Amino acid sequence: ARKFTDKHEWISVENGIGTVGISNFAQEALGDVVYCSLPEVGTKLSKHDEFGALESVKAASELYSPLSGEVTEVNAALADNPGLVNKSCYQDGWLIKMTVENPEIDELMNEDAYEKYIKSIED
Amino acid sequence: MVLQSSLKNCLQLPCILRTSKAGFRSTTSGGLIIQSVSNDVYQNLAVEDWIHDHMNLENRQVLFLWRNSPAVVIGRHQNPWQEFNLRLMRQKNIKLARRRSGGGTVYHDLGNINLTFFTTRKKYERMENLKLIVKALKALCPQLDVRVTDRYDILLDGQYKISGTAAKLGRTAAYHHCTLLCNADKFVLSSVLKSPYKGLKSNATPSVPASVQNLFEGDPSLTSEVLLDAIAEEYAVQHQIDHRITLINPGDEAVLPGINNKTEELQSWEWVYGKTPKFSVSTCFNMVYKDSVIDVKVDMDVKHGKIEVCRIDLPEQWLPPALCSELVKSLTGSKFCPNETTTLATTLLRVFPQDDELHSRWNLLCENMIMLM
Repeated sequence: ARKFTDKHEWISVENGIGTVGISNFAQEALGDVVYCSLPEVGTKLSKHDEFGALESVKAASELYSPLSGEVTEVNAALADNPGLVNKSCYQDGWLIKMTVENPEIDELMNEDAYEKYIKSIED
Repeated sequence: MVLQSSLKNCLQLPCILRTSKAGFRSTTSGGLIIQSVSNDVYQNLAVEDWIHDHMNLENRQVLFLWRNSPAVVIGRHQNPWQEFNLRLMRQKNIKLARRRSGGGTVYHDLGNINLTFFTTRKKYERMENLKLIVKALKALCPQLDVRVTDRYDILLDGQYKISGTAAKLGRTAAYHHCTLLCNADKFVLSSVLKSPYKGLKSNATPSVPASVQNLFEGDPSLTSEVLLDAIAEEYAVQHQIDHRITLINPGDEAVLPGINNKTEELQSWEWVYGKTPKFSVSTCFNMVYKDSVIDVKVDMDVKHGKIEVCRIDLPEQWLPPALCSELVKSLTGSKFCPNETTTLATTLLRVFPQDDELHSRWNLLCENMIMLM
């Protein structure tokens, strides 16, 4: 199941590995992504750490780690095709994979809570 | 450094010390206009970082005014070798900085003014800011043909770019900054912002070149000082605040705790060069040696500013193969940098026989390799 942060990142955990991306709300707000700056495999991240940046026609926007863990994989497809973040933010446009401590994930919002959250900030 | 004394109601240093006791971070509503007393690009970029990280922008927006002595400023995800002439930049003692915002490459000197509009992420609005600038310009000079494009450039007479924009969105804060060409050295600008490097392949964000013009050329009354003042005045009117500019010293740790660390980071090789997206160089050049022309082919992969993979193809036996392979081995893992390569080349040569012919050939090859950097 996908969980969300209040900074519009999502994480989906399977077998202790979390896949991280940005939400549809975030990709729409960002505009066309022209460059993805992502960390090296092996980088250790704490929750809220800046792990990279997305540059779009709108601005350079920093990415913050939803949880603590270590980067195990980085989406290589984004180097030549950064637009995947806009086209397929929940599938092909994933950003990084990382190891995850399960208890931490309970602090994040589930999909319903996130939808409610978006509605509340849009007003 | 001479302060601009022509600005109205300019608060001088004693007032800043008084303000600092109350704390820059304390919330006062409305807006704040600050101007840097420094012309150092790294210090000024550090101020932007500091405000972005430390100031509470919920109830207060900030306009930051700054100018730099000659510097080339590249966008966060750009490749300097792709964008401009590093050799010429070094020769002319022009600094190189990489900003944290996106966008393309620009040349700054004291004839260019920089404006940074700080807001919360929610209130981030580039078009409004640029329209404010255009309004200020038109108030000074009603017949001026200046307008904002959908690329967020400001054009003069429908064709010359006088301002470019970039921006950064953080957790809660955002900033939009832009340049404004008042009386910059166009000759240096156009000769430096032309890359001579061939065979580069990279996914770094490219600049969009444009013809530029200085406002001063159209109307000599439009100096940097006059323009800064007019823009500050318009900002004050629109934010319903006092037209009062607070001067800040980007070197002052008391007023801006932690600022010197930020300046150091921005000046570091790791940030300026090391942040260059991975790229490859695949090029050939000819060397003229005595009566022959020697073709050389070079292939390199550069990651984090360091040479990851290196290959040099030379005619067989022009140089001892052992020496060539030592060169390639030494270059691998070293910085893609003329100074580093010179040191490495000099060191290697000491290990080999004192042979004038060998030395001349070696120096010729290394000089040409250095030209690629």
